[in-house]
Amino acid sequence: MADHKKQNEHTHKSHEEHLREEHLMLDPMPRGAMNEMVMESMHTTSWKFWVVFGILAVVVIYCLFFQWYLLIKGGQGLAGVMRPDYWGIFLVNTVFWIGISHAGTFISAILRVFKAEFRRPFTRAAELMTTFGLVQAGFSIFMHMGRVWLAYWMMPIPNQRGLWPNFHSPLSWDLLAITTYLLSSTMYLFLPLIPDLAMARDKSTGWRKTFYRILALGFRGTEGEWAHLRTALNIFAFAIIPVMFSVHTIVSWDFAMATRPGWSSTIFGPYFIVGALHSGMGAVVMVLAVVRGTMKNMKYFIRPEHFEGIGKLMLIISMTWAYFFFNDYFVQWYGGDKWTKELLHWHEYGPLGWMWFAMLIVNVAIPWATLWNKKWRSTPWLLFVVGLLINVGMWFERYIIVPVSATINRMPFTWRLYEPSIEVPMGIGTLAFFILLYMAASKLVPLIPVWEVQEGQMAHSVRKFGRETVVTVSDLE
Amino acid sequence: MTEEKSILAVFSDLAPAADAIEQLRLLGIHDDCMNVISGIPVTEAMLGRPSQWTNVPRLAMGGAGGGMLLGIFLAFITPNMYTISVGGQPFAPVPPAVVVIFEMTMLGMLLSTFLGVFLDSYFPSYRPMKYVPEISDGKIAILIECPPPDEQKITDLLKKLGAESVKEAEAQHL
Repeated sequence: MADHKKQNEHTHKSHEEHLREEHLMLDPMPRGAMNEMVMESMHTTSWKFWVVFGILAVVVIYCLFFQWYLLIKGGQGLAGVMRPDYWGIFLVNTVFWIGISHAGTFISAILRVFKAEFRRPFTRAAELMTTFGLVQAGFSIFMHMGRVWLAYWMMPIPNQRGLWPNFHSPLSWDLLAITTYLLSSTMYLFLPLIPDLAMARDKSTGWRKTFYRILALGFRGTEGEWAHLRTALNIFAFAIIPVMFSVHTIVSWDFAMATRPGWSSTIFGPYFIVGALHSGMGAVVMVLAVVRGTMKNMKYFIRPEHFEGIGKLMLIISMTWAYFFFNDYFVQWYGGDKWTKELLHWHEYGPLGWMWFAMLIVNVAIPWATLWNKKWRSTPWLLFVVGLLINVGMWFERYIIVPVSATINRMPFTWRLYEPSIEVPMGIGTLAFFILLYMAASKLVPLIPVWEVQEGQMAHSVRKFGRETVVTVSDLE
Repeated sequence: MTEEKSILAVFSDLAPAADAIEQLRLLGIHDDCMNVISGIPVTEAMLGRPSQWTNVPRLAMGGAGGGMLLGIFLAFITPNMYTISVGGQPFAPVPPAVVVIFEMTMLGMLLSTFLGVFLDSYFPSYRPMKYVPEISDGKIAILIECPPPDEQKITDLLKKLGAESVKEAEAQHL
């Protein structure tokens, strides 16, 4: 009897230990130790980091800025856009990067609103993606614009003749929506960062101390400061969700408002949003796998449970994307319009038909085949590969929607396959710039919101119900 | 009139800090003369403190209103400032105006929420302030303003209640 009791106690203890190993929220460390770990991850930089950083910097200078200079000097003729494809890779990349930017808000705001606790250690990593993704989206639009020095014509100010921009145009809505989203997501990144900047200020010396001192704005953590911050974060978490939805809906309207085959679709808004989340979640998981694998002490904060949670979301989003894709495809196919039939045939059996099939394989088949399995979706490298494939697939999707679909219009004599030119290196430049900004930020900004992690750890505990040990969460707010 | 003394007591945990606040109140220290400084958002209820007033929601609503007015101006008024009539098209259609008004409303609301934090918290502030860096390592500090004769009494009480350190608070550059 005594042995049986002893064995039960042992089983209970080992299960509890297992829970602690598995869940960051059940494995608390002193706050000072967590601060040290985060600071150490920022300060420890290997030579490999600088090699990659240097290569990316060269790529950015050559592919992004030098090629852009050539484009401005030589004009849009250097790009492959020509009748009937006036919208090429620049706009593919715009849609792609705006899509990437959706993950930050999704993770930070929606999961915050629904109190999904596993979000805590990686909200900032996702929010940084939002801001840096939007920077690349902005660059891509300016590239497409050609005469970029006249960008201010879009601003709501009258010209010399007193003529205002036309706010009935989807392109004006784009400007308003993307500007609103960029400003909102940057503010939403900064507000929860303030306490961590104050922590970094207290832990730093030299130029870093001055840097964090300026950015921490004098934050001490008084009751009033926390109350204002907490209220603001709640307002942001709720208000930024409709802004996020509006941005990609408006981007979809750039296409859907045109009465072209393939574009004029009432389902484009939600279809684009789900697509954005699909690529964004894939990108988040890639970033987390890299951060966990390359930065010091990150294995404590980012654990397989987090990949498991994101993997589940990726699977659900992949299913939702497949549903919207089929809905969009089926209605067009059933309609039997002559030009739409031509377009669908062009998608599947045209010279880029391989891209259409590859899109379905990597956006649907591969996630479904892998993410159903808990063990697989808890494996960081596997999720990195799936995330990468989804992003390739989502880029293909945007390529099919923009230049491939623009080829088929109601004037067959104009049909011509789009052949990108200077757009390719410039697109690579935006990717390199995104990674470069992220690398720089990882050394300057605490990637882990330590105060949020500690708050979560305070709220979690294990409790015994009969013989079962379960995790309980208290609502501290 | 005597100048008030500032005492900064540092606790390692929440419970003794909450007890200390209770005891200080019994000793006659008013809630307005105490401030809790912490590295995580400890709610007023946990410490038995009165609710903190914040203007952020009101500022957010004001900003939303301002943004909405700006959106109405852009969508409905600007077309009238240089009239270009296009046959068959409404001059100031409502559906596109909804998009413009929505975006400007949300922008106004979020900008004013952000600025509200700055205004209510007096950010940025680089003046010397009463603070100890241990707070960012998870300690909880109580900052007490008291008349000089009560200083020793309060210090003894706080030490008895488990304060790790009790000292006169000095303003310093953060």
